[in-house]
Amino acid sequence: MIKGTLGVLVRALVVLTRTAFATFALLWHAPGDPALAIAMARYDAVVPAEVIDEVRAAAGLDAGFWSAFRAWIGPLLLGDFGNSSVTGRPVWPDLFTSITYTVPLALAGLAIGLALAVPLAVLATRAPGGWLDRCAVAIASLGAAIPAYWLGLLLILLFAVNLAWLPAMGARTSTHLILPALTLGLGVATSLTRIIRSGILEAREQTFLPAFRRRGVSPRAIGRDHVAPHAAIPVVTVIGLELAFLLEGAVMVEVIFSRPGLGSFLVRAIEARDFPKVQAVVMLAAVLFVVINLLIDLIYRRIDPRIGERDA
Amino acid sequence: MRSVLVLVTIFILTAVLGPLLAPHDPTAINIPERLSPPGETWLLGTDALGRDILSRLMHGARWSLGLAFLISVIGLLIGTGIGLAAALGGKAADWVVMRITDSFLAFPELVAAVVIAGILGGGIGSLILALSLTGWMRYARVARGIGLSLQTRGYVVQARLAGLSPIAIARWHYLPSLLPSLTVVWTGMFARAILGISALGFLGFGVQPPTAEWGTMLLDARIHMRSTPLQMVWPGLAVVICVLAINLAGDALRDAMAQQDRDG
Repeated sequence: MIKGTLGVLVRALVVLTRTAFATFALLWHAPGDPALAIAMARYDAVVPAEVIDEVRAAAGLDAGFWSAFRAWIGPLLLGDFGNSSVTGRPVWPDLFTSITYTVPLALAGLAIGLALAVPLAVLATRAPGGWLDRCAVAIASLGAAIPAYWLGLLLILLFAVNLAWLPAMGARTSTHLILPALTLGLGVATSLTRIIRSGILEAREQTFLPAFRRRGVSPRAIGRDHVAPHAAIPVVTVIGLELAFLLEGAVMVEVIFSRPGLGSFLVRAIEARDFPKVQAVVMLAAVLFVVINLLIDLIYRRIDPRIGERDA
Repeated sequence: MRSVLVLVTIFILTAVLGPLLAPHDPTAINIPERLSPPGETWLLGTDALGRDILSRLMHGARWSLGLAFLISVIGLLIGTGIGLAAALGGKAADWVVMRITDSFLAFPELVAAVVIAGILGGGIGSLILALSLTGWMRYARVARGIGLSLQTRGYVVQARLAGLSPIAIARWHYLPSLLPSLTVVWTGMFARAILGISALGFLGFGVQPPTAEWGTMLLDARIHMRSTPLQMVWPGLAVVICVLAINLAGDALRDAMAQQDRDG
């Protein structure tokens, strides 16, 4: 157990270090002069060479890769994301605002995904190979091929343009959440359905189930006590993976629906070449991932005692 | 299964022969005919600059499929190399390599690709770099897994005792066993690359206009959603059918392999 936990922590550390280093190196070697970009963004005009040099010195860009890296990573370890290179304002308040838009979207998407996938998978596995099962599999394969941005646009077309039931753009009211969450949720539902379905089918093949059945345990009790926990193991993994998908999906969905969340924040920061903001989003995503993976690992050990034994 | 193969063949032929088959020049601007509905001259209508949508879709197939092929093959080469290095290089090498692979896997691929492609500036070079850098990990895991399981097989042990170099063992004993599984992974990654290319195109970080590409076509069409909604449907439909066909072909391949395993 202790050895396993240590391994997980080491892995987390590797992920964070690599992400920090790779991101910084990528931005450092990005084409174009970052000092010029900052100066252009700030003064919005042709700037003389002295001003660019001044900006370069002020931003610590003339000191070389390693000292610039240290100058960035030091405050970051203390939770300081630095200042926007374009506006000069601290990154964190803006970043926090965008998080407050992305978190409800991601949670609503996951909720919709689970609400659709679990009943569908349970119904489908009642009669494996039956018409309902085949339909569920077909829907899941079709869903895996539909890109979120196209689905989002089609939903806007149907519900916002043609039927005019729901608002599409922005995030002023809570009804603005419905279409983006639906787009995200439908995407999540397709992959969840597939995994839960195969999880249930696999769990049913356990060799001790017929013994329970012959002893007269009710099918309901077998399903609840023996099939469900087994099927839950892949589901936990998938929810972890889905959170990755949710973040990816949020980038696309927020751009389509002009929702001012993390995805829009990232895309705007890249377009403006506002590197501190880009770094902040990337590091935040990395930390989020490490935490989610840690949690999943802990849940695993909880629901599947075999994992702990294997480590020992 | 046959219909899937026919579909995949149609897409590949379109990608290869598209420029010859396309009824119009995909970049020819024709303002008087802009936003035409589907009809006889313009089979699928025209876009905001009067360019023929069907011709643009056909040329776009070349970008989507061609680049996706290139990206998925680059990923295959990098991933297989890394996976085999982990399997053959001993415990320490394995640990280091797999931690690096994990750290790549532990980050949402598309977000990483958006950052890389966006920072390096839109263009085909950065698109290829962004998607290949974020698309090799699955191959590495599969190659390593199978490689480790082969390590104790009799013929591999004998080859090692006979003094064959690790590279020769990888070439003659590992690759043949790896190919079927890697092909299945490859079909999945090929489909993912198509989705990735159009996603980056849609965000404006991929193939740049005026080149016809499915994602950028969708981006252009989005603004004219109210007046010509059909214009938005075509490129998305092309992506969906293409990805679906490839995924189904991959599933069929996997099933056929499982069947062979049972029979053999």
